[in-house]
Amino acid sequence: MSETSCYILDNGAYTAKVGFSTSEPKVVPNCIMKAKSERRRPFIGSQIEECRDASGLFYILPFQKGFLINWDTQKTVWDFIFSKECCPVNFSETPLIITEPLFNFSSIQEAMTEIFFEEYECQSLLRINATDLAEYNYRKTNNNECTVVVDSGYSYTYIVPYVKGKKYKDGIRRIDVGGKVLTNHLKEIISYRQLNVMEESYVINQVKEDSCFVSQDFMKDMEIARKKDSSNTIVKDYVLPDYTTIRRGYLRDVVRPDEDLEQQTLRMNNERFSIPELLFRPSDVGIPQMGIPEAIMHSINSCPEENRESLLENIVLYGGNTMFPGFRDRVYMEVRALALDHYDVNVSRGDNPVTYAWEGGKMMFRDPDFYSFCVTREEYEEEGKALAYERFDI
Amino acid sequence: MASRESGRVKDAEKRRVLDDAARKRRARKAIEALELDNFHEDPHADLVMSKKVPKFADSNEKPTRKKKAKSAEYYKMRFRKTFAQLVEEDASFRPEPPNYLSAQVPPSKFPDRHFCAVCGFPSNYTCIPCGARYCCVRCLGTHLDTRCLKWTA
Repeated sequence: MSETSCYILDNGAYTAKVGFSTSEPKVVPNCIMKAKSERRRPFIGSQIEECRDASGLFYILPFQKGFLINWDTQKTVWDFIFSKECCPVNFSETPLIITEPLFNFSSIQEAMTEIFFEEYECQSLLRINATDLAEYNYRKTNNNECTVVVDSGYSYTYIVPYVKGKKYKDGIRRIDVGGKVLTNHLKEIISYRQLNVMEESYVINQVKEDSCFVSQDFMKDMEIARKKDSSNTIVKDYVLPDYTTIRRGYLRDVVRPDEDLEQQTLRMNNERFSIPELLFRPSDVGIPQMGIPEAIMHSINSCPEENRESLLENIVLYGGNTMFPGFRDRVYMEVRALALDHYDVNVSRGDNPVTYAWEGGKMMFRDPDFYSFCVTREEYEEEGKALAYERFDI
Repeated sequence: MASRESGRVKDAEKRRVLDDAARKRRARKAIEALELDNFHEDPHADLVMSKKVPKFADSNEKPTRKKKAKSAEYYKMRFRKTFAQLVEEDASFRPEPPNYLSAQVPPSKFPDRHFCAVCGFPSNYTCIPCGARYCCVRCLGTHLDTRCLKWTA
């Protein structure tokens, strides 16, 4: 067996990252959306780009709390992804790498194995955690011994320590704050303070992506945001899309006096940095959990002492939330402050945080032992699901 | 002797104060709201997407397919389990940590910070009836008018 390429599907709760190992990945929304403006048609995955008016979008997601629950939705989206419209594939010729969440429930694992071997007729299958792929990517690039992988996604933020390429399960930590919580919180406060946007998850998610940043000194930025004159360098206006001339909103300076540009805007002030702040202090909205830097230390301190030095030197961040400006610097600063003085601390962010794990899959396919990680169709037919459950360390 | 009393004290007794349970309920609801996928109802809920009309084939022969692709609906029925069921199942399947439940981080050892429920800036005061935080008289006024005991916005 020596296929020249492999199909990699990083099946996230909000976007799926998909493509052949010989090409670049596509980022496809892993959901079905319904628009108010087009009554007859649901938009599957990236079809949403064809939607003229994306206001009031209604999401139907296959994932709930980070686990694959709605199989009918997932099947529909997968059928779209594997079709000519998106990224066609013949699984009888191409091995498949697909990602799953950490601690995935056993019945979901069984369902995954069954659907890919029986419905999609896969030849060889590798089910794996996205963090494993990210760790592989990091380890092959840096040639290090231990790694801490921080995956900050849509449903959760996971912190996973790896010792010599193997995840140290007792050290895995989960914070129940992800991109969804941030968007929902932003929606809530804008709706209370300015304009009712409770139905606009899609647009407010873009507002979040375009205008939020991670503060390096939270209380100082609060003082700046309080100022009413031009020394307030934080306050901006966000021009909302109107879907005739503006398709995606943008941030602009506050124009004084207000011109009659006939644009609908949101005033973004302390919202710009108090939203991503939830990743660092979930208790700000009453979620009784540690923030990311504290959780990193909690995780590392549960690992064997001889590995801690190497772990602190190799912290890698990826996932959509890590794209907020200032995210890496803040994590570094806080971990540095919490770690013992004589250890070195090094924090880096994956080059392309959204597809970082996918790229790891590309590298793993080139591993000489790649096929020993997979389960083939013959093996599955011979020994059934138990084999897949044993071989894949989810 | 006519009893002398203060109008302020009399009013204060009439004022309703939310008890601890009600405050906790509110806080829990606020956290649950952060987990919602959609705030509104399905805009197409009233539409019938596929009408159940008889489909007239060109011939009367039954279609013979080599391998029948199973519909999305089939997998919905086949693997139907709710999140709560799965967590319960996992607790008996993987009872020893590390598992899904044990991986959750414990509470932070840093003290909570408080922010004004109206404007979002750091707050020093607590609303007596409901326990929300506010930073100044202006914000308190807005809070009392909109969200204190009756949740209007």
